[in-house]
Amino acid sequence: MTTALTVETPSTGVAPSRGPRGLVWAMLRVHRWALWFWALLVAVGAGALLFTYGPGTDAAWAEYRAMGCHLRDVGPDCDFSGPAISRLNLANTLGDPLLSFVPLLVAAWAGAALIGRELESGTAQLAWTQSVSPARWLAAKLAVAAVLLVSGTTVLTLLHRLAWSSTGRLRSITPWREWYEDDIFLANGTLATAYALLGLAVGVLAGLLQRRALPALGTAAVGLLVLMYTLSAWRPHLWPVETLTSKDGHPEGVGMPLGEGALTSTGARISDPVCLEDTKCLAEHDVVGYYRDHHPASHFWPLQLMETALVLAVAALAVLIAFRLLRRRTGAAV
Amino acid sequence: MTETAIEAAALSKGFGRRRRKPALDDCAFRLPAGRICALVGPNGAGKSTLLSLAAGLARPSEGTISVLGQAPAAVRERVAYVAQDKPLHPQLTVADTLRFGRELNPRRWDAAVAERIVAEGGLDPDAKVRTLSGGQRTRVALALALGKRPEVLLLDEPMADLDPLARHQLMAALMADAAEHGTTVVMSSHVVAELDGSCDHLLLLGAGRVRLAGPLDDLLAAHRLVTGRADASLEPHTVVESRTTGRQLTALVRPEGSLGDGWQVTAPTLEELVLAHLRTPEAPALRLDSAREAAV
Repeated sequence: MTTALTVETPSTGVAPSRGPRGLVWAMLRVHRWALWFWALLVAVGAGALLFTYGPGTDAAWAEYRAMGCHLRDVGPDCDFSGPAISRLNLANTLGDPLLSFVPLLVAAWAGAALIGRELESGTAQLAWTQSVSPARWLAAKLAVAAVLLVSGTTVLTLLHRLAWSSTGRLRSITPWREWYEDDIFLANGTLATAYALLGLAVGVLAGLLQRRALPALGTAAVGLLVLMYTLSAWRPHLWPVETLTSKDGHPEGVGMPLGEGALTSTGARISDPVCLEDTKCLAEHDVVGYYRDHHPASHFWPLQLMETALVLAVAALAVLIAFRLLRRRTGAAV
Repeated sequence: MTETAIEAAALSKGFGRRRRKPALDDCAFRLPAGRICALVGPNGAGKSTLLSLAAGLARPSEGTISVLGQAPAAVRERVAYVAQDKPLHPQLTVADTLRFGRELNPRRWDAAVAERIVAEGGLDPDAKVRTLSGGQRTRVALALALGKRPEVLLLDEPMADLDPLARHQLMAALMADAAEHGTTVVMSSHVVAELDGSCDHLLLLGAGRVRLAGPLDDLLAAHRLVTGRADASLEPHTVVESRTTGRQLTALVRPEGSLGDGWQVTAPTLEELVLAHLRTPEAPALRLDSAREAAV
């Protein structure tokens, strides 16, 4: 019997320190710059949204009033924007698409810096040969990043909802943004957070698949864009559509437009033959009315929650595959 | 019966889908605990692959490898590994790198050992790892490995980046530490001279196969360097390598009984033993490392 197996328990001179410990500490320390960048991004986004919520909208509204645009009959100058409206537009240009851009940013970072670079340089293996299993290493990376992403995107989403509600009176006057536009829809609900988490999951999986920073970055970005495009293309089909019909002329355009056309006497839907008032043409095509499919604004939350569930399910699947892959490569994860 | 530090059976590891040439091919050996083992072989012999399998970083294609009697993945806490390119987080300082070791080895970390190794190299604890030279990185990587108080220490080309002075000093520190704690050390190198004098066990790999395995003294004792007339017969001894210069023959043999007269017999050095085996890939392998003493 040699002394090799007499396990000592040294832990000498380890002063208990404040703050995060173990893998959480390692994660925050190694990715310190990413953390700062995320804090900065959230701060800039929050600043833009707070500006829109408060002084930006007030100043723009005052400018509208001065031009007489708040009246029912919109004045001729209302198409031109003054300095206050320009400033508000600028803030919106920053605040609205920010949350749509975050998932792509997260995927690229997670693929390249969080996983790909660590596997490429061997620092992942360095962690796995400490007292840490690959599965715990991956779990810590996902958990810390997810907590920071959820808190940041939640703050931005809440602020975006505030800003959106305050610009409501401006939207009632001029054609402004609509609730169903991609970036607005994403930023006003749970989807911003869900897509950010999808970005993390896709990035991590791409990093594990490619094992090198640059290819992982490309794979993660392309993978996420394809997924985002596919999932948001499903959006209108996640809740029953409402249909408006009218006998003469197209029904009023409200809500998320999904399709319109003409109805024949049998109730069949055909594309609008564009007869206008030509009765002969209408008779020829057997047009007796018009329809319009749409999602009214009241469908916002059902659509939002259905898509969130779908996105989170895809993200969970990506995470599951990532753990399986890691486990298969490194032997039984303990 | 001593405890076993590492044992491999029918161990193979291939890379890529086709696996046309596996990095390790049907390897079997046993390393008793407390040994300082030299893992020797030419470039591409499978040394790094074997060490990463033992460290639980990859899983074998076939066969098994056990460390301290368990699967490598189950004993991460008791094994330390320093990879060939000494990966460290470049953006961390030396002090933060040691804290990394402490945070990730909460039950084992010996800060005094790690700090001493770093201090002996005159490293500034606040220096970023990316500003360090190759040799200084090696020192930090070794500090991280020793601070863990491993029972098995796996070192892949540990001394390659060090100048002779630092190599000598670090090797001495390593050996003193291993002797004090009974650590099993496996050290790979393709420079045999680097390992001579500090190792008491040898594992020679060639083209993914075990060529020699066993206690160094036993392996050296099993071989003889003989010089004699070119027309003399070496039957029935196993000839590892023979070279004829004019009328004189020099050979490394595994004697089967007495060598007889007419031969000038000397004991080979580690380097002669290794080189003779590397120059003749067709020479039979020899294992003296198990109770069964199976010649593979």
